[in-house]
Amino acid sequence: MVAVTARAIVKRFGATEVLRGVDVHVPDGGFAVLVGPSGCGKSTLLRLLAGLEDVTAGEIRFGERDVTRLAPRDRDIAMVFQSYALYPHLTVRDNLAFGLNLRKTDLATIASRVAEVSAMLGLDLLLDRLPRALSGGQRQRVAMGRAIVRRPQLFLFDEPLSNLDAALRAQVRVEIRKLHDQLGATSVYVTHDQVEAMTLADRIFVLNRGVVEQVGPPRDVYDHPRTRFVAGFLGSPAMNFLDGVQVDAGGLALPGGQRLAIRDPERFGDRLQPGRTVSLGVRPHDFVVRPDAPDLTVEVELVELLGPELQIHARLGGRPLAVCLDSQSGVARGDRLPLAVRALHLFDPETGQSLRV
Amino acid sequence: MSSRTCSPGHVLGALLAVLALLAPALARADELRLWHAYRDAEATALVEIVEEFAARTGHRVELLAVAHESFGSKLAATIPRGQGPHVFIDSHERIGDYRLRALLGDAGPALGPDADYSAQSLAAVTQDGARWGVPLNAKSVALFVNTRLAGAVPDTLEGIAALPMPAGVYPLAYEAQSAYGHMPLLAAFDGRMLADDASFGFVGPAAARSLAFARELVERGAVPRDADGALVSDLFRSGRAAFAISGPWLVGQLAGVEFAWRVVPLPIVGETGLPMRPPLTVEAAMLSPQGSASPAALDLVRALASAEAAAVRQRLAGTLSVRTDVPVPEDSPVLAGFRAQAELAAPMSADPAMRSTWEPAFRAIRKVLRGQASPEDALAEAARRFADVRRPPPPAASPTPALLLLGLGLLLVAFHLVRRARDPAARQALRASLPAYRYVAHSVVVVGLLVFLPLIVGAATSLFAGRPGEGYYVGLANFFEILTARGGPLLATGSFWFVLLVTFLWTAVNVVLHLGIGLALGLVLSRPTLRLRALYRVLLILPWAVPSYVTALAWKGMFHQQYGAVTGLVLAINEWFGTSLEPIAWFSRFATAFAANVATNVWLGFPFMMVVTLGALTAVPADVLEAAEVDGASRWQRLTRVTLPMIRPALAPAVTLGAIWTFNMFNVVFLVSGGDPDGSTDILVSEAYRWAFTREAQYGYAAAYAVLIFLLLLVTTRLPAWLARRPRGAR
Amino acid sequence: MSPADQGRKVSLAESIGAHLLLVVAVAFALYPLLWVVSLAFSGAVEPTPRVLPVPIEPTLEHLRGVAFSTLQVPGEPDRWLFGLQLANSIVISLATALVGVVIAVPTAYALARFEFVGKNGGMRALLATQMFPAVASAIPLYIILDGLGLLGTRSGLVLCYATTAVPFAIFQLRGAFETIPRDLEEAAMVDGATRFEAFRKVVLPAARPAIAVTALFAFMSAYNEFVLAHTMLGREEMYTVPVVLQRYISEFSADWPKFAAGSLIVSIPVMILFYIAQRHLIAGLTAGGVKG
Repeated sequence: MVAVTARAIVKRFGATEVLRGVDVHVPDGGFAVLVGPSGCGKSTLLRLLAGLEDVTAGEIRFGERDVTRLAPRDRDIAMVFQSYALYPHLTVRDNLAFGLNLRKTDLATIASRVAEVSAMLGLDLLLDRLPRALSGGQRQRVAMGRAIVRRPQLFLFDEPLSNLDAALRAQVRVEIRKLHDQLGATSVYVTHDQVEAMTLADRIFVLNRGVVEQVGPPRDVYDHPRTRFVAGFLGSPAMNFLDGVQVDAGGLALPGGQRLAIRDPERFGDRLQPGRTVSLGVRPHDFVVRPDAPDLTVEVELVELLGPELQIHARLGGRPLAVCLDSQSGVARGDRLPLAVRALHLFDPETGQSLRV
Repeated sequence: MSSRTCSPGHVLGALLAVLALLAPALARADELRLWHAYRDAEATALVEIVEEFAARTGHRVELLAVAHESFGSKLAATIPRGQGPHVFIDSHERIGDYRLRALLGDAGPALGPDADYSAQSLAAVTQDGARWGVPLNAKSVALFVNTRLAGAVPDTLEGIAALPMPAGVYPLAYEAQSAYGHMPLLAAFDGRMLADDASFGFVGPAAARSLAFARELVERGAVPRDADGALVSDLFRSGRAAFAISGPWLVGQLAGVEFAWRVVPLPIVGETGLPMRPPLTVEAAMLSPQGSASPAALDLVRALASAEAAAVRQRLAGTLSVRTDVPVPEDSPVLAGFRAQAELAAPMSADPAMRSTWEPAFRAIRKVLRGQASPEDALAEAARRFADVRRPPPPAASPTPALLLLGLGLLLVAFHLVRRARDPAARQALRASLPAYRYVAHSVVVVGLLVFLPLIVGAATSLFAGRPGEGYYVGLANFFEILTARGGPLLATGSFWFVLLVTFLWTAVNVVLHLGIGLALGLVLSRPTLRLRALYRVLLILPWAVPSYVTALAWKGMFHQQYGAVTGLVLAINEWFGTSLEPIAWFSRFATAFAANVATNVWLGFPFMMVVTLGALTAVPADVLEAAEVDGASRWQRLTRVTLPMIRPALAPAVTLGAIWTFNMFNVVFLVSGGDPDGSTDILVSEAYRWAFTREAQYGYAAAYAVLIFLLLLVTTRLPAWLARRPRGAR
Repeated sequence: MSPADQGRKVSLAESIGAHLLLVVAVAFALYPLLWVVSLAFSGAVEPTPRVLPVPIEPTLEHLRGVAFSTLQVPGEPDRWLFGLQLANSIVISLATALVGVVIAVPTAYALARFEFVGKNGGMRALLATQMFPAVASAIPLYIILDGLGLLGTRSGLVLCYATTAVPFAIFQLRGAFETIPRDLEEAAMVDGATRFEAFRKVVLPAARPAIAVTALFAFMSAYNEFVLAHTMLGREEMYTVPVVLQRYISEFSADWPKFAAGSLIVSIPVMILFYIAQRHLIAGLTAGGVKG
C-alpha cells in the first residue's frame, strides 16, 4: 500500500490558524489515530489528507507521490464519514458501487466486489434497501463497505463510531481493527475518544491547538506522556494533577504536609533542584493500598462501585484526588486510605513539558 | 448509473436544445397578416371572405384573432418592430389613438368611390382630410323587444319604464352604470361625452338631467342595478326584461328562446322630446404603415370592403354593412331595425381624448346611481378627473444635472473598482470566487439581460414624459406630481398618499388573514390522529391550482348585489331564520368592496401559507412539546411559546415574499372591485396600470409609480429580514 | 395540535371541532370553483340569486364548443385548434419549468455552497426584482426580445417566463441545498467524483422533491399567464389557453359559459400535477423553506 507523509502543514481559515506546522508520518500499512479535544485540528488534518481542503502551506506525500495539490478523486483514498454520508437516493448496492461506477470499472468486477464486501460485512440481505430503511449500525457498515469496496491505498476515518451506542461501538471497533489487519491498507483515523485511540492505533498522534503534542505507539504515549496535556488527555479517569508541589531533597512536599519520595530520581536527570515547583501527575490506577509503608494517606469522600473496580473520590490536603482500586478493597466513606504510588509524572508548571529526561 | 461527465457546458447545450425545439415558426415573407377581434359567426364569415381572396389572388393570408381589449397594446408592441399585421379590423373610434402612436397608414387608395359608403361611415374614418380605414360594418345598440311581455312599444322611455310587469321582470334592461350605456340617454338630453374641442363634454345641466333621469329609472326599479352587458343579455334571454338596450352581439344568443322578439330604434325621452341616440361604431379595415405600402394588402382591404364580402357577412353573421349598394334583405327585420337605428346614431368620436372620458364618466354615473352624490357634484368630480388625466405633461427639463450625477456615480464606481483591484486581499478573494462564478455566470447573463435590464430601463422611463417613442426628459417631475397629488388634496381618493394607505391596509389585512388561516389549518391538518387528512389537504390546496384570473372573476360574480351567490345566501338565511337582512351592494362602499377584494385574495393565498406551515411544523420535534407540557404549559402556551417561535424562521421568509406579492397583487383588485367605489380600493400597482394602459399611455408616470412601489418595498422589507436573521445567528 | 399528541386519546369534541373547521374551510375553498363548474355545464341562464351551484339544464355544449374549436386557415383543412393551444400551454409551461430550473439550480447551488465576491449583493438584487412591478419593465422587455429576434416566438415567451421564475426558484432551491449535508458531496468526491459530478449525481438527486416543487411553481406561473403571451404571440396556433379564454369575455359580449368551460379544461392538468405533487409539496417547501 502506501506510506503517508505530511510535512510542516499549516492551515488557516481566514485569520484563524487551525494547524500550525504539523508533521505526520504513517508507515505503509500502519494504523494511525489522530486524537485530541474538539477544535484541535484533527478533522481538518484528515480533510487535508483527503484533499477536501487545500493546505495553506506544507506538503503531503503518499509514498513517493506528491498529492498536495491533487483533487480528492485523484488521491486513491476512501473515507468513512462521521455522518456516514450515504447517498439517500441510492440503494445499499448502488451506494457500494458508486465509486467503482465513477471510475468506469466493468460491471462484472463491480458485482463481484460488491458481493465480496457485502459478505465480509454481512450486508447481503440489505443490498436493495435505501439508507433511510437501515439502522444506525447497518448504515455504519455500509459506509465502511463503500470505503472497502474500492480497495484504496489509504483509508481515512472521521469519527466513524461516534453515532453508535456504547455496546455497538466496542464491537465495531474490534471489527475495524480486524479489517485493517486483513486488508493491510494504511489507515488514518480521527477520534476524540481516547479508548478508540488506544485500542486501534499502531501510532497515536495527540493534537492540541493545531500542533502535534506527541507521537508514538499507544503504550508508549500512555506510559510516558511528553506533556501535561497528553498525560491528562489519555486515560480514564483522567490523571490527577497536583500543582505547586515543591521539590525537596529526593522527594516532593505534598499539600497537607505529607511527603512523597521519588524512587528513581535519575529519570529526571538534574531537573529536580530542591526548592523548585513542579506539577505532579498520578494516574488513578497507579495507586495501590499499602497499609504497611504508604507513600501517602488520603481521606475518602465518596466510593463508586464500577463493577470490577472502585472509583474513589478522595482528598489529599484538601485537594481532590481520584483513586481506582480493586473492587474487593473494602474501602468506605470517611476512611483514611494508605496508598503507594506505582508511577508518577512530573511536569514543568510553566511549559507543561514532562521533566523526564 | 452512467459515469459520463457533465459540465456546465453540457447544461447550456441542453438549454439551447430546448429553445431550438420551440423554434419560431417564422412568418413567411409573402404572407399577409390580418388581425381581427371576431368570434363565432363573424369569424366564420371572415374566413370565407379571406379564403375567396386567397383563392383568387394566390396570396397567403394569416388570420389572427386578438382580444378586443388588448388590440391596441398588441399593435403598439408589434407594428414598430415589423411584426404586426398588414391589415387589421377594428373600431373607428381608436383611429385617433392609433394615429398618435404611428400605427396607421393611409387607407385612401383602397377606398374606391365615396358613393359606395354611407356618409356617416366615411366621416367616421376621416381625420384631417385623410381616410384612415375602409368602413365595413356599423354597430350600435338598439331596442330589443320581447313581444310576449310587451305587445306594443311605447313611444317614450318613460312609457316603457311605466309598463306594468310581473314580479321579478324589469320593463327595461340596459347598462345603466356604464358610460357607453348612458350615452344614448345623454344624447336625448342633448349632451355628449366629448365636446368638439376635445374638452370634457359630460358636464352642465344636460348631463346632470340625464343622470338624474337614469337614477330615477334605477330607483323606481324599472331598470336593474349594477347591470353589465352579460346581465342585460341574461335578463332578456330568460324573459326577465321586456325591453333591452343591447347590440348585435345579443342576437346570436337569442337563438332558441321561447318568446318572439324584434329590434327597433331606441325611444324618445318624453322629458325632452328628443330620441335616444346611441353612439355608432364603424368597424373598419385599417392598414399598418407596412401594410399601406403593400399592394397585396391594399387588395385585401378592397376585398374585405367589397359588396360581395359585405353580402357574405350579412348572410353568415347578420352584420350591418355600411355600403350603400348592399341593401338590407326583405326577410331580415332585425337587420332592418339596426339599420334604422344606425341612421339615427352618431359616430362615436375618434378623438384620442375620448378614451379619457370613460373612467371619469363611469365613476360619476355609478356614484349617482348609487345615490352617493348629486349629479352636479359627481359631474364636477368627473371633469376634474378628466382634466387630471389630460393635464399637460410636465415641461422638458435639462438632462445636464442628471447626466452629471450619473457621470459622477460611474466615476466613483470605477474608482472603487480600481482600488479593489489593487488590493491583494480583494484579488485573492476574487480568485477564490472563480469556481463559483462558473455556476452562476449563465444566470447572471440571462437574469441580467431579461430581468435587470428591463427593470433599469423601466425605472429610467420614470424620468420621461410624453407618448412612447417621442418621450422627453422631465427630471423628477413625475415623482413630484405624484407625491403632491398633482396639486389636489393629499388625501383625496386617487392621490398617491391615499392609495398608499389603502395599499398598506390591503397588505396588512391580507397577510394577517393568510397567515392566520394558513396557520390554523396547518396546525389542524398536522394532527396525526386526524382522519381523511390527505383528502382535506388536496381539497384545500385546490384554490391554488386554478388559474387566478378564473377564480377572481368567479368571486366577482358571487358578489353581485342582485344575482350573486352571496346575495343568494343572504336571502336563504332570511328564509330559513326569518331574518330580514338586506343584500349588500358590495362594490358601492369602500369597506364592503375592500372586504370583497380581501375575501378573494385570502381565498387565493391561504393554501400557500397552509402548506408552508405544514412543512415548517415537521421540523418541530415532539419531545420539545412534551417537555413544555411537563413544564406545565397549557395547550395555548405550547402553541405560542414553543411551536410558533420554532416555526418562525421557516415562516418569516414566506411571509415576507407573501407580503411583497400581495403589495403588488394587481389581478384581484383589477378584476374583482375594479377600484370601486370611485377608485378607492385601487392599490398602488393597479393605479400604475391605469396610468400605463387606460389613461393615455402615460408610461413615464406609471414607471414613477413602479419606482415608488419598489423603494417602499425595499425599505419595508429590510425590517422583517433583520428580524428573520436574528434567530438564525443565535443558533 | 402537533406531533406531541401522537398516540394519545383525543377527545371526541376536539375531533369534531377539527373536522368542523376543516369542512368549513373546504366549503370556502370549493364554493367559487363549483360556480365555475356549474356555469360550464349550464344550458340556460337564470338570473336569480341562488345558493347552490347546480347547473341549469345541464349540457355539454359549452365544453364541446371550447374543446372542438378549429383553426380555419384559408385554403387549408381545418385543424383542431384547441388541442393545439392546450398543447402549446403545456409545452410552453413545461419548457419554462425546465429552463427555469436548469438556470436556477447551479446558481442556487453556488449560493448555498460557495463563498464568493458579490454573493450577498446578488442575493439582495434578486429579492429586489420581486418588488418591482412588471408594469414598467414590460415594454423594455419587448424591445430586448425583439433585439434577440425572439419576439413573437414561443421560445421568447419561454425565456421570459423562465427568467421571471428564476429569482424565486433560486431562493427556494438555495434553501433546499443548504439542508443537504456537505458530507454527501465530499464522500462522492473522495469516491472519485469531480465537484460537478458530485453535484449532479449526489446533490441533485437528494434535492429532488424541492426541485420538483420549484418546477411546479414555474410551470404554474407560465401556465396562468396571459398578458405577455397575448402581446408576444403572433399566430393563433401559437396561442396559449389563457389567451384564448380571455377572448371569450370581451367588453361587449362576454360568453361566460364558454369561459367557464375553458377554465375547467385548463385547470385539469394543473390539478393533476398538484395531486401528484402534493406529497412532495410539503417536503419540498420545507426543504426550501423559501429562505430569504
